Amino acid sequence: MLTTALILLPIAGALVVAILPLPRETTAGLAFLVALMEVGLWIAAAARFDFDDGSLQLGTSREWVESLGISYSVGFYGFSLWLTGAAVIVSAAAIGYAVWIGRDRPRAYHALMLLLTGAIVATFASQDLLLFYISFEAMLIPLYVLVGVWGGARRQAATLTFVVYTMAGSLLMLASVVAFGVTQGTFSLVDSGTSDNVWIFLGFAIAFAIKAPLFPFHGWLPLAYREAPVEVAAVLSAVVSKTAIYGFLRIGLPKFPEPADDLSGVILVLAGAGLVYGSLLAFRAPDLRGVVAYSSMAQMGLITLGVFAFDDLGLDGAVLQSVAHGLVSASMFLLVGMVEHRCGTGELASLGGMARGRPALATVVMVAGMIALAVPGSATFAGEFLIMAGVYDQGWGYSIVVALGVVLAAMYTLRVISAILHVKPGPAVREGALDLRPAELALVLPMILALLVLSAWPALVSQSSFPGNDAAQAISDGFR
Amino acid sequence: MVAGAWICLLAPLAGALGITLAGQRISRRTAGWISTLSTFVAFGGALVAFFGLWAADPSDREHVSTAYTWLAAGDFEVGLQIQLDTLSSTMMLVVSGVGGLIVWYSMGYMAGDDEERRYFAYMSLFVFSMLLLVEAGNFLLLLVGWGLVGLASYLLIGFWHHRPEAVAAAKKAFVMNAIGDATFALACVLLIWETGTLEFAGVFEDVGSLSSTTVNLVALGLLGGAIAKSAQIPLQTWLPDAMEGPTPVSALIHAATMVTAGVYLLVRAHPIFEATPDVQHLAAILGAATLLVAGAIALVQWDIKRVIAYSTMSQIGYMFLAAGIGAYGYAIFHLMTHAFFKALLFMSAGLVIHHLDGEQDIRRMGGLKEVMPRTHVAFLVGILALVGIPPFAGFWSKDGIIASALAAGGALGYTLYVAALIGALFTGAYAFRLYYTVFRGSQSEYAAEHAHEGHGEGPRSMLVPVWILTVLSTIGGLVVIPGVWHPLTEWIGETAEALVDPTVAEDYETSTLAVVLGLVGLFLARRAFQAGRQLVTNPAIWRVLEHKLYFDELYDALFFRPAVALSVALRRNVEEPVIERSLDEIGSGTIQVGGEVARVQSGLLRTYAVAIAFAVCVLVVVFVAVR
Repeated sequence: MLTTALILLPIAGALVVAILPLPRETTAGLAFLVALMEVGLWIAAAARFDFDDGSLQLGTSREWVESLGISYSVGFYGFSLWLTGAAVIVSAAAIGYAVWIGRDRPRAYHALMLLLTGAIVATFASQDLLLFYISFEAMLIPLYVLVGVWGGARRQAATLTFVVYTMAGSLLMLASVVAFGVTQGTFSLVDSGTSDNVWIFLGFAIAFAIKAPLFPFHGWLPLAYREAPVEVAAVLSAVVSKTAIYGFLRIGLPKFPEPADDLSGVILVLAGAGLVYGSLLAFRAPDLRGVVAYSSMAQMGLITLGVFAFDDLGLDGAVLQSVAHGLVSASMFLLVGMVEHRCGTGELASLGGMARGRPALATVVMVAGMIALAVPGSATFAGEFLIMAGVYDQGWGYSIVVALGVVLAAMYTLRVISAILHVKPGPAVREGALDLRPAELALVLPMILALLVLSAWPALVSQSSFPGNDAAQAISDGFR
Repeated sequence: MVAGAWICLLAPLAGALGITLAGQRISRRTAGWISTLSTFVAFGGALVAFFGLWAADPSDREHVSTAYTWLAAGDFEVGLQIQLDTLSSTMMLVVSGVGGLIVWYSMGYMAGDDEERRYFAYMSLFVFSMLLLVEAGNFLLLLVGWGLVGLASYLLIGFWHHRPEAVAAAKKAFVMNAIGDATFALACVLLIWETGTLEFAGVFEDVGSLSSTTVNLVALGLLGGAIAKSAQIPLQTWLPDAMEGPTPVSALIHAATMVTAGVYLLVRAHPIFEATPDVQHLAAILGAATLLVAGAIALVQWDIKRVIAYSTMSQIGYMFLAAGIGAYGYAIFHLMTHAFFKALLFMSAGLVIHHLDGEQDIRRMGGLKEVMPRTHVAFLVGILALVGIPPFAGFWSKDGIIASALAAGGALGYTLYVAALIGALFTGAYAFRLYYTVFRGSQSEYAAEHAHEGHGEGPRSMLVPVWILTVLSTIGGLVVIPGVWHPLTEWIGETAEALVDPTVAEDYETSTLAVVLGLVGLFLARRAFQAGRQLVTNPAIWRVLEHKLYFDELYDALFFRPAVALSVALRRNVEEPVIERSLDEIGSGTIQVGGEVARVQSGLLRTYAVAIAFAVCVLVVVFVAVR
């Protein structure tokens, strides 16, 4: 029931927010309250979850269309519960930021944000392929509208590319879902067996590769991340991208062991290429969002390397890194929004010198930046190290690529930190630009604190993600 | 005893956190005291650990203590784990002891800076990171300390973040160190797959059963980390730029923490390096090359801190040389005496800079002996210890290293021996050039203007640490006297047994030569100073040395600019035309089509839905049929 409540609470909240004709502030406050309650629900779920076990828990299963083998079946494994945790925290911070910034047409806006949250949680909880597909698609509709209506100057172009890419992915995935369900006789992820059909696997893989995005399927990323409202970009890069990782972990690998193995070479190469390509583009991107967007793409390449390492180190590392990157990427995007809000631009050349007289901003940007570049001792370092170690088994070259990514990450992150904080104030930085306000701190600090806790104890996630703390075994058994 | 080690580790962390969280609620002075006292608490913990170990039976001098499992995946586990043994206890004493003096000195040096709290939080973080590095009980935790040291140095080098040079220097230091971190991490990856563990004891047990390729690669990866952190050729270019930080930071980086980490790693991981003598010798050769190159560059520098910085590179070169030939005890011994006299040199240079309102160019100094008599004595003691004049501290440790090279013998041993002796000549020359230019002769106009009478030489918090270090630099080397006693090298030998042991004859023979060469350097510097000319008279050589052998230019051309060019080229030739624009065209095409058919929108939707359904059906059939 708890899982169903986690899915339904934000959706019900969305309906209430959309329908009740409340004043602006009340609407926004209500939406934020719902988002916080969602975090509370997740904590309740985590408290009941037996992390030593890590198998499917908090599950509910109801027949839906019996003749077709479709069911409403939800529940959590260790890794999906952790991903959900990052998702609800990031959603709450994003909605809080939208409240703080005072987005126009709050009823529609917040209803869509809550709907998005519900769809993300449902995606992570689905144990039925059709339900997974519906949730996966349900994420897109609010995103289209949020980018298309509340986005920046080129929001139309951004939405169109986003629609074209994701529709293509959806089409392929829908075909794969139907084909898999028909051949298996059931859509249940728990009951179905494995398939050795390469084409069905490819349909899923391309849909996930677009969603992550992986090189070279990232055509929608630069515009979407630049034009979306900054808190929507935060949710996109922090959480929505991780549904692709969930898809690989729950469907791609366990249901298609042979095709995944056959194609792992191609995927590993693309993931490694994406890591380097994204890092290089981030290194010279002219604006804040460009740096964070391309670094996010690089990180998705890294996490995919971990997934396709097929061993405990890589898989546990991929989950840890997904959670950590979700939190740090959302923090970075919100900080970008706060800087843009003060300076009216994200052009690196126009910024600078903001550390002087703004200790809170300087401290938070520095801490988030250091975690983003995976300084040793941080949760991101732990994740990267596990992935670097795990993927060695697939070829030492991939470990070297990860190491190269570490150096490049230092280069582009230090560049952006200095561009915001150091040397002389740029033309866009007014003398009177304020330090972070308490409300802004209250949105970012919980995520930073969660990251610090994870840095002190990354084993919390990496040890409890898969049944029996044996990731490779769980995947190859198909979680059964 | 083990509790002492934990206190030693955690006290500076508590200090850093306390200062950060307290923020504006505490005064700047309180922040300084928290930082200083927490470092001395750490020193107290180190003393407890050290004497506990001292009193224990020699067979019971290795303790591993694990707080909890930090990282785990499948069967692989790494604990938050410290290892207390003779090596780590010695390092803890040096780091927290000298570190504490430097932090204390900072209270005077930084007084009045409007961001003192931030400074002291960083200092405590720095000391904590270094203690984590030396206390870590496995390679991954060592790497964590390793990386945090890099982070703290980045923060402190760039402390004055309004200065572009400081920010650039900080970034350079971080990226250079990140390269070392990456090779270190790769070595750890290999160890996981080949030995299944990262704990020191487990790894060293298995070293014998590894293939030679594996051992070579692991050793090279660790060596890469070591040369980056210790600023040895070819990853040395960040160190001189790091002088952009406040002077006590330079003292901390050069004396007590950071650059000595590479030496510690070579000694700590000695079973790995001993399994692959070629790589171990490579460390010695790089050390020898660095000590010569850095010594030569120091001859032509004008910045008081840069001369001392190059001297650090050169002295670390000696330590690498020692570790590379297996003279582990002497490597750590020299690390310790160097910590004393290098902290002393930086701190007395800091007194000079403080006195002259921030001036660092030695051409604008001169004749300071008269106005700063006490600083003069301290600086001179530092110089004498650095050059290795008996009985000052550097004499005992450096000559032990040179004698070990002689004892190692063979073509390599003799080459290293000659290089180390030439290095002693360079040391004498650059050290006394610095001394004469700053303290002797007539006062420059600038110095006369700024050297106020009755100003004192500095506040008590700066002078007392300097006195303590003056004493240590004078007598700190007496713990090893050839032919009489060797408690320190024997103590280290319990953890890392030396491969070479010079005879007493070799020791005294070497000492005589080295001292004579140091005095020749003194004589050359003195004559050049009296004649009013430079030590290097050939303009071409001068130019090469002044440009630090063009390493910066070379790396700029080889790595930085290609990376920038590649990044820009990828954006111009791949990202924009291929990936972004192709979709832009589709996008604008769709807008046009959308505009034209907007009137029949409902029809379009229906068509669209039918088209999707049709496409899906076709795909399903294809997927199921084609297997």
